[in-house]
Amino acid sequence: MTSKPSSASTTPLESLRTAFIESAYTDGAKSFRRGRHLLDTSDLAHDEVDSLIETATLAKRIIRRSKASLDLLTDKVVATVFFENSTRTRSSFDLAARTLGARVINLDISTSSVTKGETINDTAATLIALGVDAIIQRHSASGACHQLLPTIPSHVSVINAGDGWNAHPTQGLLDLFTMMEVGGSVEGKKIAIVGDIKHSRVARSNIRLLVPLGANVHACAPPSLLPEGITEMGVIPHVDLAPALENADFVIALRMQTERQQQGLITSLDDYRKLWRLDHSRMKMAKPTVRLLHPGPINRGVELTPELADDISISLINLQVSNGVPVRMAALLLLLVPEVFK
Amino acid sequence: MTGSILLKGGLVITPLPPGSGSTNGSSSLKRLDVRISNGVISELAEDLERHNDDTVLSVRDLYISPGFIDIHTHLRDLNESAKETIETGTRAAAAGGYTTIVAMANTDPPTDSTRILALTLDKIRTSAQVRVLPLAAVTLGLKGEQLTEMAQLAEMGAVAFSDDHTPINNLAILSRALRFAKLLDKTIISHSEDKDLSQGGCLNESHVSTRLGLEGVPSVAETASVAREIEIVRATGGRLHFAHVSTEGAVALIKRAKADGLKITAEVTPHHIRLSDDDILDFDTRFKTSPPLRSKSDQDALIAAVKEGVFDAIACDHSPHSRHEKAQSFAYAPFGIVGLETSFALVHERLVKQKLISINELIYLLTKGPAKVLGLTEPEIALGARPDVTVIDPNHTWTYQSVKGFSRSHNSPFDGTMLSGKAMATIADGRIVFQEQSRLTAK
Repeated sequence: MTSKPSSASTTPLESLRTAFIESAYTDGAKSFRRGRHLLDTSDLAHDEVDSLIETATLAKRIIRRSKASLDLLTDKVVATVFFENSTRTRSSFDLAARTLGARVINLDISTSSVTKGETINDTAATLIALGVDAIIQRHSASGACHQLLPTIPSHVSVINAGDGWNAHPTQGLLDLFTMMEVGGSVEGKKIAIVGDIKHSRVARSNIRLLVPLGANVHACAPPSLLPEGITEMGVIPHVDLAPALENADFVIALRMQTERQQQGLITSLDDYRKLWRLDHSRMKMAKPTVRLLHPGPINRGVELTPELADDISISLINLQVSNGVPVRMAALLLLLVPEVFK
Repeated sequence: MTGSILLKGGLVITPLPPGSGSTNGSSSLKRLDVRISNGVISELAEDLERHNDDTVLSVRDLYISPGFIDIHTHLRDLNESAKETIETGTRAAAAGGYTTIVAMANTDPPTDSTRILALTLDKIRTSAQVRVLPLAAVTLGLKGEQLTEMAQLAEMGAVAFSDDHTPINNLAILSRALRFAKLLDKTIISHSEDKDLSQGGCLNESHVSTRLGLEGVPSVAETASVAREIEIVRATGGRLHFAHVSTEGAVALIKRAKADGLKITAEVTPHHIRLSDDDILDFDTRFKTSPPLRSKSDQDALIAAVKEGVFDAIACDHSPHSRHEKAQSFAYAPFGIVGLETSFALVHERLVKQKLISINELIYLLTKGPAKVLGLTEPEIALGARPDVTVIDPNHTWTYQSVKGFSRSHNSPFDGTMLSGKAMATIADGRIVFQEQSRLTAK
């Protein structure tokens, strides 16, 4: 596992840029590139994860020094196609691609009633005809990116920016990056994911990334939102909050959609607050050094108290957002960099 | 129909019900020549002499079975002719060894009126390659609310009644339907599923649905519904057939209900025998069917139930869908698998080649068993019997390629799979309707 990302140094920007480019040619990076796409964290081998983290670490050091374009992927065109609303993920991908020097097409189809997936292959075909090199797609249907693959030519990469309840790999990677930044390796760490596990692609991508890295992942949800057979993903399930939080190194809170009450999946939001809302006193069950993550957007006062969300001694929420850019830069660079850099 | 057909050198299979201990798992075959003429099986003997006008099929060492009967086929046609028509569906049936198929009523428009049934019967007369017995819907528009004109529909030729694909959750309606069906001596075929429990689900609820992030259909959606419907049968004395049983719990309930003497029958599909949800390739919609492919333990329970004789029939639930519909995301793609052309090989490989049941027992589930479910004349290879005959090569190895098949649709998880066992010739109503590469015709 890669060691804790090192803090700011006085390395000249030019040599950081060189190291950043070189990091795209390690064995792990090449192996990741051979996969062509980023559909989920379950597809990533250890050395590929290491490689992504290493490249993201360098990207973070670079953008802390300068927000100027690196002019690395100047001949590449990247499209973001969002069939579902997003603010942070989309702007994060956009910024990451532009910082690398790629041109970006943003396609926003979230406002229309297109949710049934009939047109996603048509949309992809249009973008490919326009000459894009990568399609970054978000869609409400699980498997929406897998569905594209049979019609994608070999020079185009598909990056999953969230498909239904299935996966959100760059969120998983940025959560890992953030936890490693704070606490080094996640191996042996207890990580509790709390909330609507059933409908969460963030939970799934985190579980698939963290379990193979040796983290002790616990999943806590109301009984109706703890999906059948979750133990087979290598996590320890809970319906009670206390044993999930006990001695935890990290707690990942998930967004609790208010419509789950209307759907009859929870008794009420107040009941949810009573049993599962995270606050300062409940966080005391975890380790004193516990840190809190949340993929956003927060339903303030439902899954966590505003005081906890805003307490920067515990909450890593803003750091997660910042880290989204270097992590997505890493994914884009590793997938799109030419085989030999000129 | 001119001339006669002579089958030379084949091995005649007598269907025997599974679980009765009558075969002890071993096959019982008789080498007999079979002549079909004048609309019946006219001669059966060890060595029949060839007549001048005979079409001779040399079937040495091949199996001769009564023609297969499928009691669960979606033939589409009408407004869904792009998926399948009575003609293409019956050609697929013939290639699979079927000489009779029962056509489901959830057509578009549904077969819920004498007008649509008349239209369907007309299309059957002009384009069916094998015998097609249409079902009529139990309720108008398959809405589960108002009963169809069951008496008139039965008189016109509806062989049974079913709202397949849209379960009747109102037990008062089901109860009345069973009473009328009893009066008309007809069976109600039930797609048993609690729609509230299964709502939104697109595959079995298990570690697989959880892994893929898709809404699951819990097995209790079927098991609980079967339990309720059994009690309605007990209360009404009607005849109910459970279509495509998929759960261990439902099997146990059906077994007990049968032991109680209720008029309950049940079928299982080849795909539920061959696959569990662990076999689903990620997001591959060819595996999406209703009821869903269940867990390995359910699959094992279904196979054990076949062996024990709990099932009366193996039925395909042949459900054609167009490519563009199945190309949608898993959650939105329609449910269904085409099966008429692969069913024999799939069940023969799993059940007979692996020595769980004898060939005679398998043939029972494809012929006599389904006939009994609907009260049809029981098919047999006997003098004077209906000339529906299927010639099988149990060892013929072939690769199923849906594009080379007869069905208009290709939605099968077995597409491209190497299979062994195949119908080599199908004779329906005294006419050769399918022959594998014409290899059997002697000069």
